[in-house]
Amino acid sequence: MKLKDIARVIRSKNAGPFVLTLDILMPSIEAFNTVKASGALNVDLISRLYHVPREKIRIIHYVPGLAIKITMPRRVPSGDVADTDVYGAQQHIPLMGIEVS
Amino acid sequence: MDVLRCYAASGQLGYGVPKDNFKRGMARHPHYIGADMGSTDVGPVYLGSGKMGPGRLSAKRDLDLLLCAARDLKIPLIIGSAGTAGGKPHLEETVRMVQEVAKERHLHFRMAVIHAEIDKGWVVEQVQKGTVSPCGPVPELTADEVARSTRIVGQMGVEPFRAAMEAGAEVIVAGRACDTSIFAAIPIMKGYDTGLVMHMSKIIECSSICADPGGRDPMMAYLYPDAFILESQHPERRCTALSVAAHSLYEQADPYRFYEPGGMLDLTDARYTEIDGRRAKIWGAKWMPAQKYTIKLEGAAWVGVRCISIGGIVDPVMLSQMDYITEQMTDLAKELLKDEIPPDTYRLDFRVYGKNGVLGPLHPKGQGDPQEAFLMIDVVAETGELAQTICGVTRQHLLHFGYPGRLSTSGNLAFPFTPQEILVGDTYRFNVYHLAEVEDPLSLFPITIVDL
Repeated sequence: MKLKDIARVIRSKNAGPFVLTLDILMPSIEAFNTVKASGALNVDLISRLYHVPREKIRIIHYVPGLAIKITMPRRVPSGDVADTDVYGAQQHIPLMGIEVS
Repeated sequence: MDVLRCYAASGQLGYGVPKDNFKRGMARHPHYIGADMGSTDVGPVYLGSGKMGPGRLSAKRDLDLLLCAARDLKIPLIIGSAGTAGGKPHLEETVRMVQEVAKERHLHFRMAVIHAEIDKGWVVEQVQKGTVSPCGPVPELTADEVARSTRIVGQMGVEPFRAAMEAGAEVIVAGRACDTSIFAAIPIMKGYDTGLVMHMSKIIECSSICADPGGRDPMMAYLYPDAFILESQHPERRCTALSVAAHSLYEQADPYRFYEPGGMLDLTDARYTEIDGRRAKIWGAKWMPAQKYTIKLEGAAWVGVRCISIGGIVDPVMLSQMDYITEQMTDLAKELLKDEIPPDTYRLDFRVYGKNGVLGPLHPKGQGDPQEAFLMIDVVAETGELAQTICGVTRQHLLHFGYPGRLSTSGNLAFPFTPQEILVGDTYRFNVYHLAEVEDPLSLFPITIVDL
């Protein structure tokens, strides 16, 4: 099963102009625990998908929001000449096809 | 202590506050109205250029709506991060609009204008003292980088708002402010628990984004000594325990810890419940005062002038070779112009929307060629004239570029209109995003009192 089939929300946005944050919100505590237990969302995979060094990626499991948060530095700061996504709003695509079970 | 009704009219003032829902909240008699008018989310161009984000018509319409409502009930109105970036020209333009509204509507009140543009000399002194640090993954600040910025603003905390209130202000128009401080100043002055106040402010500064479904309608918070209740003023937006808890994720690196001027908001023990199917009740946040008071500095530097050309491509033979074509075109254009315009004095880039214009190398592979693409030729150069020249030359050669297997030999691009060059204008980058230690939270933010 892919992440896009189990998650309720998969989104990305800036947290300030230099940081990208991705949120995956689950529909239930069971789905949250399934994905957490699977270990599918790990820094190695995220590093490969987003071309960011492992040590710069942070993954937080936020139970009150039934969410997994992934945070990393933006490869290009918001609004720089090479930027293609000023708000960082369309960077969630690489997550959608991740196999979680 | 009684309940305090804290009304967040907007998290993005100037783009059209929903009128009916705003008035719905006013009928509940809030004790004050707050509105956040700015952000760095919109990129560096507003800070760098001095221009405001929203158009003047919608910005003034929102100010008119809020000013009339606040003066009708004689309650404080606090507007922060004026004119999108909260620097001197942004603040001046916002104050001008407020003055126009006051005159047109025959409103009389004491206005406090709080300035947030920071003297570059002061910033350099702090850099030399070693009391400036990066805010996140940015390089250390240097005196050169400070000099390159067009302007620098500081995000004020609650203290300048408090001082303005103590000077008798009824309307406060502030430059760049920390989002929370716009909404937190009055409740903290009145003695409500700082942790609760900061948590409440952090949520309502985004108006109804924390509701289900989320939206931009005004949000009312009912603040008590031991908890706060949230109620969206759109009848179909519900604040649920989950929707509010999940809001801590929004645009934040860490959902449990928020760093503000003067301290840190810790949400580890925050609790969320629901009342009556529409409203949520929240408590448990803790405020940890910082040892050193820091102000976040934001600055933007000019990079160049941007000109673009855009066109559609539907030819499948061409669409199967876009990488090759854009590489060849880059070399060709640079070679053609090299005697007049040295290649290292400008940036020439191609984006193929429909293929990988947004994600570039991150775009998932193996999806085949698109059936249609939207090409953008992107040039950034030292002047608009140069950018237009480079763009025009590139566009014209691309239009007639002979790639392998070409069948369609009369023109490679479908322009939606002419002229084909679109001058976008000055482009900037954020070059200051640092924390500066300050002894006095008021010292950087002078207040002017104006009686209208």
